[in-house]
Formats: sequence, C-alpha cells, structure tokens
Amino acid sequence: MTGGTTEGTTGGTLADLPEPAARLYDVRYSRYQGAHEPRWRSVLALARSSAGRALGLRRTAGAKVWPFFLLACVYLPVIAVVGIPLLFDGAPDPLDILSYQQLLGLLTLVIVAFTATTLPSLLTRERRDRVLSLYFSTALSRTEYVVGKLLAAVTLTSLVTLGPLLALFAGTILTAEAPLDLLRSEGGDLPAVVLGGVVVALYFAALGLLAGSLTAKRVFAVGGLLAALLVTPVLSGLAFGLSGRRDLLVIDLSQVPQRAAGTLLPGQAFEPNPPDAALVWAVWALVLLATSLVMTLVYRNRDSA
Amino acid sequence: MSTAALAVDGLVKAFGDVRALDGVTATVSAPATGLLGANGAGKSTLMKVALGLLAPDAGSVAVLGLDAARDRHQIRARVGYMPEHSCLPTDMSAQDLCIHLARLRGLPRRDALRRASEVLFAVGLEEERHRPVSTYSLGMAQRTKLAQALVHGPDLVVLDEPTSGLDPAGRHEMLRILRHLSRDLGIQVLVSSHVLDDIERTCDEVVVLSSGRVTAQQAVTATASGGPVALQVSGDPRAFVARLHEHRLPAALDGSRILLPSSEPALLTRVRDLAADTGTGIMSLVDASHALEDAVVGAMA
Repeated sequence: MTGGTTEGTTGGTLADLPEPAARLYDVRYSRYQGAHEPRWRSVLALARSSAGRALGLRRTAGAKVWPFFLLACVYLPVIAVVGIPLLFDGAPDPLDILSYQQLLGLLTLVIVAFTATTLPSLLTRERRDRVLSLYFSTALSRTEYVVGKLLAAVTLTSLVTLGPLLALFAGTILTAEAPLDLLRSEGGDLPAVVLGGVVVALYFAALGLLAGSLTAKRVFAVGGLLAALLVTPVLSGLAFGLSGRRDLLVIDLSQVPQRAAGTLLPGQAFEPNPPDAALVWAVWALVLLATSLVMTLVYRNRDSA
Repeated sequence: MSTAALAVDGLVKAFGDVRALDGVTATVSAPATGLLGANGAGKSTLMKVALGLLAPDAGSVAVLGLDAARDRHQIRARVGYMPEHSCLPTDMSAQDLCIHLARLRGLPRRDALRRASEVLFAVGLEEERHRPVSTYSLGMAQRTKLAQALVHGPDLVVLDEPTSGLDPAGRHEMLRILRHLSRDLGIQVLVSSHVLDDIERTCDEVVVLSSGRVTAQQAVTATASGGPVALQVSGDPRAFVARLHEHRLPAALDGSRILLPSSEPALLTRVRDLAADTGTGIMSLVDASHALEDAVVGAMA
C-alpha cells in the first residue's frame, strides 16, 4: 500500500522500503483528465461490442447456444474434409472432395439461419430499448453508428462465410504432404478466396441490416428475412420450371452471393448451369444499394432518435 | 466569469402546427440551473435541440461556448445527457453499459473500466453493478442513467426529469447527488423538472418555460432582503435545531426543513459555523418567503 510515515520504527525512510506489493486507488468520482482516443477507435468499440452481444457474449448462457451451434455447423464440413486425408492414406485432397464453391452452396441454409436470427438484432434491440438517444446525444454521430453496425454485421457474416473458406484453404495446405510446395502452387488462389468470402459476407450483412432497420421488433425482422430467403428459392424454382429460363433463378435471394462468388472462386462450380453472371452481380449490387438507401433514410433523420 | 453552459437566441422548433419552442432566448451560466415548466412547456425539446438530437427551425444554440450545429463533436466530448425516458439496454449490466459508453466517447479501455467503477460508486450502484439492467428498480435505473452521463467526465450534464417516478427516498438521494455534482465536483448542471422543490434544492438559478417561451429567469438562493430562509441539513434536523437553540439562535422545524426567521448575514454565518462545528452538512439554503414560488407560479400561469 502507499502512504505511511516517512520514517519507520527502525529509523529507515520510505526509500528504504521494498516496492509495494499492492497499490490503493481512490475510487471516488473525479474529473477525467486522460486522453481521448481517435473516433475510429470508438467505431471499432461499437462494432466489437455489437458483434459480441449478437453472439451472446457477456449475456446469459442461453443467449450463446444458438449462434455458437450455427458456428459449429459451418465448420463441421471443413473439419470433415480436412480430417479425411489425415485419417486415411491415399484419400483425395480436401479441395478434391469439396471445392470452395461447393462449400458455400452446402452452407447456404446455415448461413441463412445465422443471418436471419443474429443480424437484425444488431439494430432492433437498440431501437426497442431506445438506446439511440443515448448514443447520438453524446457518444456517436449517426454516420459512426451506421459504420460501426456495418462492421459488426460483416464481421459476423464473415465468421460463417469467409471463415470456412479460409479454414478449407489453410486445412488443404497444412494437411498436404508438401505444404510449402502446395502453398507456392495454390497460394495464388488466396486473394480470390478472400474476395469470394467477402462478397458473400457483404451480401448477407446487407440483408440482415436491411431487415433490422425496417422495424424495431426483432420477431418481424427475423420473420421477414426468413420469408424472403426461404420463399424466393421456391418462387425461382417455380418460375424456372414454368418458363425454362435459367435467368429467373436469380429470384432466389439465398443463392445470389454464392453465384456471384462462384465467378471469382477457383475449383469446381456448385451448379452446372448458373444464371447469367452479369444478372447475378446486378441483383447483388441492388441488395447492397437498397440497404444503403434504407439505412440512410432511417438514420439520417435527426428527429428519429 | 465561466463560459455559459447554454446560450440560445430566438430558438424556434415546431412539430407540425405545435410550436414547442417559440423564440426562446436565454443564457444559462450558473453552476446548476433548473428548467422549470409544466408538461409540454418545451423543456425536453430545448435540451434535445441543445444536444443536437433535434434540428432547430430557427435561432442559434451555443453549448459551453461552442456552436451546437457546427461543433457537435467537441460538444459531445464535454457534455453528458440523462434522458427522461427509459433508454437502457436491458440485457447489459450497469458496469458493462458505463464501460461501453465510455469507450464510445473515446476513453481508452483501461480508463473506461476505472471510470465506470468511479461513477457507479458515486451514484451508489457499486453493489449491483454486475446485474442486468432489466432486474433494476426504477431508482437504480435512474442512477444508471446518471452514471453513464458522468462516465467521461463532462463539463456539463443535462438531466431531463431525473426524479421522475422515484419514491421519496430515491428522489432525496438523486437530489443529493445532483447537488454534489455542481457544488463539490464543479460540473455544470442543467436539470429539467416540473417540481419547484426539486429545483430549489439542487439549483442556483431557475429558468421558467411556458408554452415554448422563457417567462422568468431568476436566482434560487436566499434573497438579500433579509426575509426568512429554509435550511436543509444532512443528518437529524431535529438535533440541529436543538443545537441552534442551545446557542440562542432562532429556528423552527418545518417537516424536514429548518426555518430561520431572517437571512441576515450575521445569523447565517453563525448557523454555518455551528454546522461546521457539529459536522452537519448544509444541503440547501433557500428563500422561504415564497417569493420564488410566487414568481414561478406567475410565470407558468
């Protein structure tokens, strides 16, 4: 502890005392005199906190079960295909069992479930609890808030899109008989893998935020998003079946980013005859544009807090 | 002279056909200022315009000498705000909320942790700080709202109806904390209320709003007229009155207040000295001649 008399019973001084093992702090309120961090650190703090809460971190155990169950689900296929060559001699390479495009196609349902149940609450919970007036009065600007939420959403969707792709890439390299040789030959695929993962992550992040910004009630946002992502595949199948036009498959909103990423990712495609790539990219861009417009309209209004 | 906490000039804000602020002009520079008015008088609207939450239709606003429209970033760093309505994330604890808002206001993580502990201790929530806000009583939720407004060490705190819905004990505690802010910690306080007693007990000046206009602005302190004053002390007021009588000082108990028949400087000095000798804290000393009450009632009519 600090303090005490300047002379001890043996006649020594404070300088003679050993280094204190503990230090006492006065926890009574005082004026803050310390430095302030740059604003981008605040935006990162918002993104980190928002993503953590969406995953149930620093909340009850029950709040963590569903998001972490889905996270486990997206990495199971990767663990399986990476593990096979380790267990069986002469087994094919992971990428020969499951290509990047096939992995994304396989994970569609889990990605949809994760997006619909996790992302809207990034926005709905704070509107429900009316926390925005606290944020916008003295903590954040509206632009900083939107950027922070976008970062949180992309971080979350990257966990279920980019994460498995990178895990498959790394697993393929690490389980190869000559990892360095394979890294030299296949390392050039990494930018395309990252870009493909980001394309899918951005799309689902945008959809999740779009649903969350349209209502303060989470149940409506989740229901609306699930309806859009589960009904459109049926509609697109019906439209294709009736007309025979493959371009009508782009109505399926749950497959748009996988098809767009398919134009970037190496390896075997997850469907033999995809719709026209330009049309797919147009729908992908349209969803991002719609989200930007809606969020601008919802959060630019100063009177809405 | 210190910078005015708030200076508004010709402020107008309308919601449809209703003019919530109708040409408000006032300068607020006292350590603690109360915005007094009936429901719908424009108190909350004035605060929200000052904080940039609402855009004014006309007029200008300066907060701590900074233009509210142009210098919002600097204002945000120097102002704390406690809204009237429920605004706490129900799944967070008070500790997590204060740390979170401190981080959003630019404090480094280590400082945010320390400051959260300090403010929660200051508002009396040190024991319950890890519980989710959803389990808090109304009084605890109000104190959490106050704590988050203080966590970044603001120069000015804007408090919208801080005693709203509190029971008498909670209200007394909240008023004590508010007085502590301006008197002991040097934080300028702008507090709205529709209860004159709250303003008298916590503020040095009162601004009365009625139908979106400033209808009165005057000091709350005991007047120099030498008229009667009311004293509020910490601890047992009955015991303090007895000590005053022992020293042949005229005083009478009126509920929890002590009435002194005059505000002559000699008498007030002796009362102050006796309070210091007995370790009694003087919480408020206000005019008891009802001059303020009469003025406010007249201004709100």
